Order: sequence, then structure tokens, then C-alpha cells
Amino acid sequence: MATVTYDNATRLYPGTNKPAVDKLNIQIEDGEFLVLVGPSGCGKSTSLRMLAGLEDVNSGRILIGDRDVTDVPPKDRDIAMVFQNYALYPHMSVADNMGFALKIAGVPKEERLARVREAAKLLDLEQYLDRKPKALSGGQRQRVAMGRAIVRNPQVFLMDEPLSNLDAKLRVQTRTQIASLTRRLGVTTVYVTHDQTEAMTMGDRVAVLKDGLLQQIDTPRKLYDRPANVFVAGFIGSPAMNLLELPEADGGVKFGGTIYPVAREVLAEAHGSTVTLGVRPEDLETVAAGEGLQVEADVVEELGADAYVYGHTTLDGKEHTIVARVDGRRPPMKGDTIWVRPQQGHVHLFDTKTGERLGD
Amino acid sequence: MTQPVSGTTKGGGQAAAAPRRRKKLTWDKVSFMLVFLGVPFVLYIIFVISPFIQAFIYSFTNWSGFSPKYDFVGLSNYVRIFQDNLFLKALGNNILLLVVVPLVTIVLSLALAVVVTVGGSSKGQVKGLKGSGFYRVVSFFPYTIPAIAIGIMWGQIYDPSNGLLNGLLRAVGLSGFKDYPWLGDSRTAMLASMFVIIWGFVGFYMVLFIAGIKGIPAELYEAARIDGAGRLRTAMNITIPMIRDNIQTAYVYLGIVALDAFVYMAALFPNAGGPENSTLVMAQQLFFTAFQRGQFGVATAMGVVMAVATLGFSGLVFLVNRLTGGKDQELV
Repeated sequence: MATVTYDNATRLYPGTNKPAVDKLNIQIEDGEFLVLVGPSGCGKSTSLRMLAGLEDVNSGRILIGDRDVTDVPPKDRDIAMVFQNYALYPHMSVADNMGFALKIAGVPKEERLARVREAAKLLDLEQYLDRKPKALSGGQRQRVAMGRAIVRNPQVFLMDEPLSNLDAKLRVQTRTQIASLTRRLGVTTVYVTHDQTEAMTMGDRVAVLKDGLLQQIDTPRKLYDRPANVFVAGFIGSPAMNLLELPEADGGVKFGGTIYPVAREVLAEAHGSTVTLGVRPEDLETVAAGEGLQVEADVVEELGADAYVYGHTTLDGKEHTIVARVDGRRPPMKGDTIWVRPQQGHVHLFDTKTGERLGD
Repeated sequence: MTQPVSGTTKGGGQAAAAPRRRKKLTWDKVSFMLVFLGVPFVLYIIFVISPFIQAFIYSFTNWSGFSPKYDFVGLSNYVRIFQDNLFLKALGNNILLLVVVPLVTIVLSLALAVVVTVGGSSKGQVKGLKGSGFYRVVSFFPYTIPAIAIGIMWGQIYDPSNGLLNGLLRAVGLSGFKDYPWLGDSRTAMLASMFVIIWGFVGFYMVLFIAGIKGIPAELYEAARIDGAGRLRTAMNITIPMIRDNIQTAYVYLGIVALDAFVYMAALFPNAGGPENSTLVMAQQLFFTAFQRGQFGVATAMGVVMAVATLGFSGLVFLVNRLTGGKDQELV
């Protein structure tokens, strides 16, 4: 059990001049489950591999507990990692795979077997201990990879998209299992994923990365309710937040036929005469014709309780797509025109130029 | 990121379960089989199988090689060669080569291959030593030289008075080796010849093993590192088990080289057999018996013994690999 600290950690791949991870600063508490999330190539896997020691750190430091591990080889870091493709040793049985680290550490055979069995019991793998990984299903392999990490009883768990090779149903199941398991064991966990649902459901805190830069690190709730910039606003949440560039008006922002009221001091923070307004699909309400924004419904997804309208609108000659959640009992038809308006207090404003959040 | 480890092909099960239907033979299929199966099969029978059978038959005769007449003499050729001290000496030398050459060559080339591919820094990405490409190319050079040239070249290097080796030894102050006949002393002749053969093959097998190691997903090495494995443990527990099929193939090939070794020995020792016949090999003895003494019957019996020894050795290698848990090596 330990804290993990990224202190200005930077990774510059040879032959490039843009860092893959740029001055990353994260403080992870003891026993915390931190998720690194972002689109492909954002540096999340690189950050994790830097912590594992599988990637060099070009500048800055990485600490596990109070110990500076920047130049410590992986084998001396007391960490365990679950790989995307599991990386099980194909020539070893499940028991040998799980016990390999203990064997290297010189743990006596009886204790080793006992610990392997204990972990196998926890993961429901007892009857597979003698099998080779080849003879296991994807979900079982994934559990063996987890078991290999658990048996070690390490200071930190590192997980690099461990669920991405499972089918959708298994992924949802395993997601909850992993989250509850790591909390029960109380081990600090760093978890990499590109799936924002995984990030939101599993993490105590979530760090959003883009182009090697940390965008925001916060609890899932705060990330959803108060995204720090346009990127986080668009990345977190599904369907994604509607982001519209709107002109400022007297006392607010012009939203189609209505004016959405915004405090003067908030608008004063903005550069230029437009702001980017973000509103989540569930925060749009349908209103009478002529009020708010006119939306042509292109697709209507009926999910039973709710329905999502995927439509388009034209603002200043530019077409924007709009997603709105509507009452599932009375959804509009494809091709219908509806009028929507944001609910008061459920709007996010961003500076169009810098993308940063305006006001609170 | 690394290559996905998963990717087993499934489907064989379903195919077997489906009822087998006899497919109609069309001219298309028949002609295909004739050309791609029939022709190679006939050629193989004529040029590979029939000489084998012929040799086997001649080994039971007293054929002199240059006359159409011969009589069957039963097993007497075999009895004779196993009572012939010279042939037994040659057999012993071949067995010595068989024990030493494949083992040393494989250990050396494997060690070099590991260093070149995964022997680099123990932190950061898994990689080989700096400049590994250079070592790789240089160590492959000897394999591009024909065996006969290698033999002649090393014959010169080992020359007692004018050779490079003794020159170097003298230059570093080991004057005791002045005029030492490396190939002329029965204590060193065999070792010196083994060195030449090994020198000629290490580079090639290194390249072979490098290809095998490159096929191992990097994630496996990373997992081993995180599990706490050092370089030696990684080599023993990950690399060798993952490329054991390559090692088996190398062992068989090198065993065949060791059981032959004719070219090297003929080039290194113009006086056949070397000092006190310490480097005489079966193939040389076969050559003399056939072409100098005109005893083709006896010589083919020796050839049959060589063939049986080679087959037996290959079988042994496969058996050992199987018994020690090979054959369930496919990637997950």
C-alpha cells in the first residue's frame, strides 16, 4: 500500500520533439483507484508504463510512497501489472503463471501454493490451476492475469485496458468485480482505459489526458458536472454534450429564439464576442414552437423510458448536430421539427478561444 | 503496444463434426494432383528413395565399384566394419563431435541472440544492446564462406611457424607456443577442428534464434520483468521455452553436420585422419574405402551405419523434446 506521485514526469520518444507525456503531475492517495482516460495516443498508456518502469522518464520524477523510483528497474518497484493481452506465459500452467513472481522472490513452495490457491479461490479459478492458458476462455485468462497481480500483494496495481479484449457483457461484469476486489484489498490502483463508462464507474478519481497533457483530474461526479474545458466536456458523458458556439447578447447568450441568462462577470471573462455553450442531452427541454432552438430530428433512438433525438440545427449558416433526451412515451418522429431550450442552471460555458471553463 | 497474444484458430471441431461428402473428381483436380503431387513424387522416388534402397542392397555385396559383377555376402560387411579399429575410431570421433559441436554452438548462439535482442537495459522498453545490428551482421559473415574455404583458411591460421594464431600468441608474449602444431598434435587437433566448425555456424544460428525471439510478444518480457525476473531467469524461463522448437531444429541440423564433418576434416588435414587418426570421421573412412581401396560394398555399409546414426540421433532429439514437455508450446 502506498501513494503514487507523478512529479513533472515527461516522456519524449526518441526522434520526436513533442512529448508523449508532458509534465504530468498527479498525486494518488493510498488505496485510491485512479483511472487514466483519454482518446488513443493521449499518453495514458505511456504514463502507466512510466510508473511500471517499462518506459524511460526523460525528466521529472515518479515516486511510490516516499521512494523515488524514477531510475529503479521494474523488478524492484514492487508493483503488479495486468496487461491488455494478459501476457500470460503460454508454457506454464495457471498455477505457475500466478506463482512465478513468488518463485523468483524465493517464497517457499508451501506458502507459494497456499497464496496461489487463495487468489484462485477469490477469482473462482480453482478448477483451472493445472491448465495451460491456451485451454482457457478470454474471461478466464483475464482472471488469471488478475490473479497473477493479486498473489504478489504489491504496493500498486497497474492495469492497462484489461477489459478491452472481453465481450460487452463480460466487460460489464468484470468491471464491477475488479472495482470491488481492489477496494477490498485496499491496494492503490492505476487503471488505463479509453472507455469513459469504465472510467466513470470504476474510478475514485479520473484523470483525463489529451495529447500528453493532463486536462482535469477529479471525481467522476465533478468531471461530469463541472468539466474544466471543452475537451473534457465533450469526452465525458454518453451521448456526448452538445457544444455550440453562440453569440453574446444583452444579459446572456443568444440561444436560438431565446436568451439564456448569464451573469455579466462570467461573460466578461470571455475573449471575443462569442462563447461556447455546452448542454447535456438530458438537460435540454422541449418547448413550444418558436422558442429556443429549432432542431430537425434525423434519427430517434427509443430506449423505452427515454428517447434520444439526434438532429441538426443551423446557426449563422453553419450546421450543428444536436442530441436531446425526450420523453420516451411521446417521442417525435424522424423528420419532425422540435424546439429545445437548456434547463436553467444546467449549462456549461467555455471560452471559445481557449476552451477553458467560464464561471462556476 | 505489442502484438496481441491471443488468436487461436478455432473451427477444426465443426469441420470434423459435419458429414463428409465425397467430392467429385474433375479434370481440374486430377491435373492439379498429377502436376503438384505426381511429378514431385516420381522425382523423389527416382532420385532420393531408389539410391537409398540401392545403397542398402550394395551394403550386402562385395561390389568393387568398377565392375558389373558382385556377389551377396550377407552381413559380413557389417561384421567387418565393426571389427575395424579405424572405423570404430572414426565412429568415436563422430560421436565426440556430436556431443560437443551442437551443444556449444547452440549455447553460444543463443546467448548472443539473447544479448542482441533483449539483453539491454533492465528498465525502459525491452531492447537489445546498443549497436546490436552491427554484431548481428558481422557474426553472420562466417556462414557466407564455403566450408572448404573455411577449412583451408583455418589450416593456414593454425600453421605452426607462419600461422596467424601462433604469431598472435608470440606477440602477446606466450613464446611457449612458438611453432606449436595445433593440428599436428593429437591432444589439440580435435579441439582445434571443433572450434573451426563452431566458428562457422554460430552466426547463422544466432540469426535463426534472433528471428525466434523477435516472434515472442514483448509483453511477455515486460510481465516477466514486473514479476521480478532478471536476465538469466528470463532467458531460462521465458526465452528458451518459447523458442524450443527452433532449438530442436538447430540441434538436428548441427547433429547432421557433426556426423558428417567431412569437408572440414578433409580441408584441415591434408594427411587424412590427423595425428594418430584423432580427427578421422566416418565419411572420410567411407571415402577411402570406396575410392582408394575399391571396396564399395564395405563403404556402402558404412554409409548405412551413418544414415542410421543420423536418424537415431534425430529421433532422440525429438523424443527428449517431447518428454520434457515440448509440443504444447503454441501461443495462447
